[in-house]
Amino acid sequence: MEGIITIISQVVFWGLYAGCIYILLATGLNLIFGVMKIVNFAHGEFLMLGTYITFSFFVLSGFNPYVLLCASLPILVVVGIITERLCFRPILGTGKLNEIFVSLGIIYVFQNVVAMLWTDEWKTIQSPYKDITISWGSVQVPLDYFIIIGITICILIGLYLFLHRTSLGRAIRATSQNRKGAMLMGINVEQMDMLTFGIGAGLAGAAGTLWAVSGQVFNPYMGSIPAIKGFAIIIIGGLGSIAGAIVGGLIIGLAENFTSFTLGGAWKDAVSFIILIIVLIVKPTGLFGGKDE
Amino acid sequence: MINARDLPIKKILIGLVLFFALIFPILFGAQLYYLTVLILILIFIIYSSAWNFLTFSGQGSLGHAAFFGLGGYFCSLLVMKAGIPPLLTLPIGGLFTGVIGVLIGLTCVRLREWFLAMVTFGFAIIIQTLIVSQLAPITNGWDGFGVTKLVPSDFPNSLLIEYYLIFAISVITLLLFRYLLKSKIGLTLAAIRENELEAKASGINPIPFKLFSFGVSAFFAGVAGALEIFHFGYITPEIFGVDISFWPIIYTITGGLGTLAGPVIGTIVISLLWEGLNSFGLTYMRFVIIGILLILTIIFLPGGLVSIGGKLSKYWNKSPDSDKK
Repeated sequence: MEGIITIISQVVFWGLYAGCIYILLATGLNLIFGVMKIVNFAHGEFLMLGTYITFSFFVLSGFNPYVLLCASLPILVVVGIITERLCFRPILGTGKLNEIFVSLGIIYVFQNVVAMLWTDEWKTIQSPYKDITISWGSVQVPLDYFIIIGITICILIGLYLFLHRTSLGRAIRATSQNRKGAMLMGINVEQMDMLTFGIGAGLAGAAGTLWAVSGQVFNPYMGSIPAIKGFAIIIIGGLGSIAGAIVGGLIIGLAENFTSFTLGGAWKDAVSFIILIIVLIVKPTGLFGGKDE
Repeated sequence: MINARDLPIKKILIGLVLFFALIFPILFGAQLYYLTVLILILIFIIYSSAWNFLTFSGQGSLGHAAFFGLGGYFCSLLVMKAGIPPLLTLPIGGLFTGVIGVLIGLTCVRLREWFLAMVTFGFAIIIQTLIVSQLAPITNGWDGFGVTKLVPSDFPNSLLIEYYLIFAISVITLLLFRYLLKSKIGLTLAAIRENELEAKASGINPIPFKLFSFGVSAFFAGVAGALEIFHFGYITPEIFGVDISFWPIIYTITGGLGTLAGPVIGTIVISLLWEGLNSFGLTYMRFVIIGILLILTIIFLPGGLVSIGGKLSKYWNKSPDSDKK
């Protein structure tokens, strides 16, 4: 009995930590969806770019990889802004499927530019704290997990404060609530689009750093699956709801780790889609998604 | 729609393409490389047309590799375990994927664009996982297994025979799609795509039609998948890869979404471009080029390559009736 509880709490910690990365991705997707009403299927490429930026700076400078959040986040904000301006702005308001197709193009471009620059071999970096574990009752949890969970909470609180306490954040929220109304109030909604896309990409970049720091391997093609999972999370949590994204991220993170523990590692990716499909069969607009367009 | 004046040009073009496709192997000799490229183009024409058929009902799939791969696996298992000749397994495998397509469609008919795309993407991953884990004793997991070729390689001119066989199959497929779209079903699908609510108001129950297009689309995707496997003679779970799901989308968008000729033109142009770039040794660059091309097409040429002809003729002869478009 003691053993089972230990294993379960171990799995819960893995789930929490995996959930953190998904929450960052899903929050970014959600912000973008809220403001622009588009879905960026290429979001995982920002995550992938974040891991590679962390990797390069780590190899070049040898800094503590957690410090490199200060590099990956701003760089990805800029990349996101450029991507929005060049690829998504021209197709805003055209067919609904176009954003999916544009994302496909972006996925191909990012993946292969990265593959050209860094080759497509699997890479990994080591966290300086990888050998330190903290005993919590009978559970051994790596210090990195605590740091990652802590950083995610800090980023989310920072985002919350930005969105609720600054005028720029309020402008973003206004645009997401009512685009035309925001325009009438003198908000430059196109700038808000760019900014939001940048923030979303930046969050994905931060997730990328956390991904790399936690010792997970990465290659140029690793982005798609986490991104699609991030998207599954916001469908489960309801489009546009940040709280839903957090709940969804935790659900997926936990479910993933419990299934790979019981059914085997092969089911790690498939389980999030099974949950997604079940949720959508029961409620086609998502668990917390009340309004249909 | 189509100008009466354009019709003969169109027919001549189609005739020329068909003639060229028939005579190409004879002109250039049955070289392995050219024939392989041509055969793959034909297979992907079937596959992209199948994907495109789904969009006629207003549904878009990001996971057609599920059907492509299922067709491949089901047919190769039939060939290897039950000893049925490859050609005969094609309709059986197609029917099987068609049924699975309808079942998957059942979960999808109520969903909106993005949700639908997600669910189909998810199914491709779930099926791949099943194949490599629980079904591994039959499917040999990630290693895959060898399959008999469509035309045994010890046959004289086996590749040439295979080319003409697949050519015939793709022509039949395209004719069938054309027939379906001209029929009442095609009109109904268009009505559902344009405005589901209005279609309902005029007494159409959209669900059976959406399921029908899912089934037909899955059927031909499965046939295409089986053909690809019978061409290569080996199957692995890589066939469910994200790439395989994305290719028909890229082909169709570049060619022209929602047109019969779009997938055909797109597949030919992009495949030739792909092979051309490959011969320059641009391994990764070609993905980047095709990605950029895709983005540019969506932004500047939403109708795809098919719409170029219409645009040009409009530009050249500004007769009064060409403004009506």
